[in-house]
Amino acid sequence: MSDDDIVLEISGLEVGYSTNRGEVKAVSGLDLAVRRGEILGIAGESGSGKSTLAVALLRLLKPPGKVTAGSAIFRPRGRSPVDLLKVEGEELRVLRWSALSYLPQGSMSSLNPVMRIGDQFRDVILEHAPDRKNTLSELIPRLLAQVGLEPDVARMYPHELSGGMKQRVLMAICVALEPDLVIADEPTTALDVTIQRVILQSLVDLQRDFGVTLVVISHDMGVHAQLVDRVAVMYEGKLVEVGDVRQVYKQPQHEYTRQLIESIPRLGRRAS
Amino acid sequence: MTATAPSATVAGESAESAPSRGLRAWLARHPLAAYAIRRFGLYLVELWGALTIAFFFFRMIPGDPIQTLIQTLQQNYVYNQAASAEVIARYQTEFGLDGNIFTQYLKYMQNLILHGDLGPSLINYPTPAQDVILRSLPWTIGLLGIAAAMSWVLGVIIGAIAGWRRGKLGSTIITNLSIALSHVPFFFVALILVYVFAYTLGMLPARSAYDSTITPGFSPDFIGSVIKYGFLPAMSIVLIGTFSWILSTRMLMVPVLGEDYLVYAEAKGLKPWRILTRYALRNCYLPQITAFGISLGFIFNGNVLVEQLFNYPGLGSTLVTAIQQLDFNTILGVTDMAIFSVLTAVLLLDLLLPLLDPRVKYWK
Repeated sequence: MSDDDIVLEISGLEVGYSTNRGEVKAVSGLDLAVRRGEILGIAGESGSGKSTLAVALLRLLKPPGKVTAGSAIFRPRGRSPVDLLKVEGEELRVLRWSALSYLPQGSMSSLNPVMRIGDQFRDVILEHAPDRKNTLSELIPRLLAQVGLEPDVARMYPHELSGGMKQRVLMAICVALEPDLVIADEPTTALDVTIQRVILQSLVDLQRDFGVTLVVISHDMGVHAQLVDRVAVMYEGKLVEVGDVRQVYKQPQHEYTRQLIESIPRLGRRAS
Repeated sequence: MTATAPSATVAGESAESAPSRGLRAWLARHPLAAYAIRRFGLYLVELWGALTIAFFFFRMIPGDPIQTLIQTLQQNYVYNQAASAEVIARYQTEFGLDGNIFTQYLKYMQNLILHGDLGPSLINYPTPAQDVILRSLPWTIGLLGIAAAMSWVLGVIIGAIAGWRRGKLGSTIITNLSIALSHVPFFFVALILVYVFAYTLGMLPARSAYDSTITPGFSPDFIGSVIKYGFLPAMSIVLIGTFSWILSTRMLMVPVLGEDYLVYAEAKGLKPWRILTRYALRNCYLPQITAFGISLGFIFNGNVLVEQLFNYPGLGSTLVTAIQQLDFNTILGVTDMAIFSVLTAVLLLDLLLPLLDPRVKYWK
């Protein structure tokens, strides 16, 4: 496979949190390649380091968290490759959203409570693509329609929306600038199962329509089964298995993966 | 005052469907108007209550103002005879001190509400107290009002930046400096400023409100002189006031910085200044607006010492003279003025808040 097909190449990534009793490793020795256009799932129990991996790649890691080693070469279209872990200041700010965007957990209050939804689209679009100023009145309703929302949602405030609607707004904002890579951190957690399904379907549609690469972090093996092309399984900060999702489900190579798959609740089977 | 304001409820409940006729129905369809009317009614009740309490409170102060007046007249006009009962009775009528306390109260309220009349001032007899107050009011509003507004604006901006850059050296210095200086009394700073700028350096005047050789009026000379003379007293208030606004704004700012929408704004790659103003400050400055309204009350009485020190002809100086000479009409008038302005400011801010923060809704 040529370099061009790999949008993100993580090698030897180490992330730790420094505490009073020394450093705690959250991610250690992680190597992973994300292919252009795929949906890659990252699975694992809580505390396995999957969210730390996401915030480290998005450069949102706050002290005491610290990347101690490794690189993450990001190859956006039409730009020269950069190491996501080294890029700083204005260069990082310009890269954000137009090339690398973020879909947070829906239950989190990621929308600014005092700004109308439309303004929260507007500020990020104008920041990175000021030439689209004249098309905004057409672009925002189109993005909202893409996730099944009415155009007047743009005039509302976040507290006037339900949890599922907020998550759809976040999805529409994250693809607004057609980024190369979207990192979604638990996109369906804390939503009820019917909404989860709708959100997953919208994610698949968006991925197809906008041609973005999607990295989905979720503890829910059911989400991976429905959504992703390949799945990477993390356990205690290490990557234990990566592979085609069907292959992994059919023939898990690692004992932990097998246990994770068995933990999916099924109808007609009681927990032992 | 704030305790009586209705508590805000989170919006979301829709107005119930009421029959579409009559005042009730109209109010149900116009919740904002209904709220404004109710809030204004509450304002009137608050105003009446506060003015009434002030009136009875001042009547309880021991001492006979008429005797004081007659003594003053005797000293000034070599009027050696003891005042006759007739003279005393006439003065009592004029000052609103005849009859029992309830008729006095009714008469006082009637004069105040219908004619804006506070009764004659003792220190400047027979000038009415409202004229005495109005003479010094512009100086106080000009000096203290501008100084209070300036320290609020400066304090909120610097405090927001100090919160934003918490942990950095500059922010730590500013924060600790604010903790150390925010409770230094105004007059102490005023004394230092006078010592340095007026006494040692001789750059700025330390007394009065303008150069007495210039005739008051709208001439550039006079305005320049007012600014020059007002500089030191204003500085003493701005310096210390700013520090306490810095502290409180920083305290409001820090918790907001941990919110998810700030992380999201950073991930969006917005410019830091925009995140600071539109995401962080916008979500935490509301209590500062209310606090500013309440702090306006202190303009009328909190800075008496500064005005005294600089011999500034403002309300504070007038109040001190009035208290010394038991000029109860003027004292009560200044108090009424403070009550009126604080309640009005809080009313206006209460009506303004729903426009500043969409989550604030007092009505259902």
